[in-house]
Amino acid sequence: MEPAEFLRHQPPFDQLGPAAFRAVEEALEVVYLARGEFALRRGGPRAEHLYVVRKGTVRLERDGAAVQVLEEGDAFAFPSLIGRTSPHVDVVAAEDVLAYRIPAAVFEQLMEAPAFREFFLLDLTDRLRRSAALQAPPLGLDLGRSARALVTRDPVGIALGATAGEAARVMRERGVSSVLVAGPPDGILTDRDLRSRVLAEGRGPETPVADVMSSPVATLEGGASLFDVLMLMLDRRVHHVPLTEHGRIVGVLTDTDLLRAQVQSPIALLKRVASGDPGDLGDYAESLTQIVDSLFSAGLEAARIGRVVSRLNDTLAAALLRNAERELGAPPAPYAWIVFGSEGRMEQTLLTDQDNALVHAGTTPEHQRWFEGLAERVVRGLIAARFPECPGGFMATKWCQPLPGWQATFRGWIGTPDPQALLDASSFFDWRVVHGALDLAPLEDVARGASRESTFLAHLARTALGFTPPLGAFRQIKLDHGGVELKRGGLAPIVALARLFALEAGVSERGTLDRLAAASAAGVLSAEGAATLSEAFRFLMRLRLRDQLQALRAGREPQAVASFEGFSSLERSQLKDVFLAIREVQESVRLRHATDRLG
Amino acid sequence: MFFLRTSPDWETVTYWALDLETSGLDPKRHVILSAGMVPVRGGVVRWGERWESLVRPADGVTVPEDGLRAHHILPGELEHAPMLGAVLPEIDRRAREGALLVHFGQLDLGFLRAAYAAHGLTWPKPRVVDTVELLQKLHHRRHQLTPHPTPPRTALPEAREDFGLPPYANHHALTDALATAELFLALRARLQARRLADLC
Repeated sequence: MEPAEFLRHQPPFDQLGPAAFRAVEEALEVVYLARGEFALRRGGPRAEHLYVVRKGTVRLERDGAAVQVLEEGDAFAFPSLIGRTSPHVDVVAAEDVLAYRIPAAVFEQLMEAPAFREFFLLDLTDRLRRSAALQAPPLGLDLGRSARALVTRDPVGIALGATAGEAARVMRERGVSSVLVAGPPDGILTDRDLRSRVLAEGRGPETPVADVMSSPVATLEGGASLFDVLMLMLDRRVHHVPLTEHGRIVGVLTDTDLLRAQVQSPIALLKRVASGDPGDLGDYAESLTQIVDSLFSAGLEAARIGRVVSRLNDTLAAALLRNAERELGAPPAPYAWIVFGSEGRMEQTLLTDQDNALVHAGTTPEHQRWFEGLAERVVRGLIAARFPECPGGFMATKWCQPLPGWQATFRGWIGTPDPQALLDASSFFDWRVVHGALDLAPLEDVARGASRESTFLAHLARTALGFTPPLGAFRQIKLDHGGVELKRGGLAPIVALARLFALEAGVSERGTLDRLAAASAAGVLSAEGAATLSEAFRFLMRLRLRDQLQALRAGREPQAVASFEGFSSLERSQLKDVFLAIREVQESVRLRHATDRLG
Repeated sequence: MFFLRTSPDWETVTYWALDLETSGLDPKRHVILSAGMVPVRGGVVRWGERWESLVRPADGVTVPEDGLRAHHILPGELEHAPMLGAVLPEIDRRAREGALLVHFGQLDLGFLRAAYAAHGLTWPKPRVVDTVELLQKLHHRRHQLTPHPTPPRTALPEAREDFGLPPYANHHALTDALATAELFLALRARLQARRLADLC
């Protein structure tokens, strides 16, 4: 099929009339992208063309991780064209790609045709309808949420007596695409009106706004859902919808706002948390879960999702600490709020439990009491944000002491390891500072000293061997209630091994993947071993998160045992390989540290 | 290496992909039935600038009907088509703009040269880029890496298939010109050619 014939059958081009389609054909260009070539770069120049994939696949990437994969017939670059912004993803050819493209100017003309324009918005409604048809809607893409949340700025108004030229200047200065006209009668004037009703009609800047504005204005109550806004835009063919509260307009939503809201934005939650008052954080856990779900559905790697989640959790903790300081007054001495365990490693994807502690430079019992009060408030705030308590009690309310005390505690763990205590405490070695001015270099030095303590390392090795992959005598996977414990059987041993290797190598990395890479660079672990364990870790993280999200979508609590039914046959065989690989590394650790000879 | 430095960047050259449909293989006995051209400018195929024309055979020349059908031409269509004398200047204008891009060009160029001569025109001797030659070039390069590479399939549809390009209708002058232009882009990327001299 030649280009025009191909495009004629692709939505939204199939909606175009003969004249509009001829304009497409006359401007059409064919481009070839060799595998690995970038069509657009995130943060780079704006797109100058709309692209449609003709052959091959294209990947949308963020920081090298695929966010979406496009195939034949899929369009790209339109968010940049519509939003007139830098691309928010890298667009890279996943294999050799033949694509058709049309210049931005032609695309903009086409966008005047409602049927064409609506294609991009309808994509949204489609998803909503599909999710509404399911018994339990997916957690992501919630068009049921309040439209008010999307309003980011106050409305910009102008007097009824103003001219079109004045309106245009106000719009430019305030960086908005519409102004509200204060009547009566009330009206709205958009950049589109300026173009089609003023310029295209040959009128000048002195044209009264009253002559070219739209009135009456289609508005919605602030409590309306994003879906309501979307339907109003589609039904009335408008691109700007003012929202009212108590009869007063509180902001204007544009179709671009809606497009941007397609993926639940971690940035939006970040802003809300950072500025937010803790009393308003009851839905934090839920919002976070939605973000994780949409990021996962969009193909983001579980290990990377963990970093996003950690950023958000850190911001929340820091906001709570600042609020507590405001209430309690300035701290009597510098301190550091630390997290450890999966949070310290930035590997927490769903809120499981909080592991935090407080290190301070206070010297008196009053200081100690002050910091305990601080910890009390912050932990309470985290619980209010639906951050579950740590069942083992590893929280700052209990673990709050001066820096020298912490150094002694760590030296105790390293110098005279008590196997059971070490099992509980080993996750402390994943500590990471979230907030506070106290320099914890002395604590880092203590941890670094562990690389010379062979008895400690042997004990640590034994805790790493305590988690056994569920493999039977004939190398088959042993099922537990028809499923597999991915954490105990796979993730926990890798995490523990990576921690052991990192402490052995004396490197300060915290994340499991970082630790494996650093340990390999330091010669503690073979490059092959590091690569195998990293691959296994990524695989298990993805499998576990998918299982957890499936449970949440179905309204169930995620379980420790992931159902074997949910895995494809390929995944089952990969899982076996992963368990075998872990066991192999564990065997070599057993030999090297002679853990059998420990008492 | 003097010529390498003076040879222009491949992207700055305009390549007019050309395909002729003819009634046979011998320029002395057979005639041009249609011509199609589409340019590659700035490394991109400009479909909007495509050009194609049927060619009315000179009086007294008859073309068998099934020969026409193979080229997707209806016998009646030729009656109102321009004569070769009117079509040649259109080709000439484009051929002088940069390079000519052909797939197995011997045949097309043979017909063109004969037509130029018959109409008393001077052949402009444009640079010619031939995708079959590029296929061979790529093959030789692979030869240095693997001892016995399979020889490339050089027929246009097969060559396109080997490069993952979509199937098009064959034996239609403009579509074949486009097919050649796309194959050229794929080959250019694979050869990592940077200058015109790397391509012809």
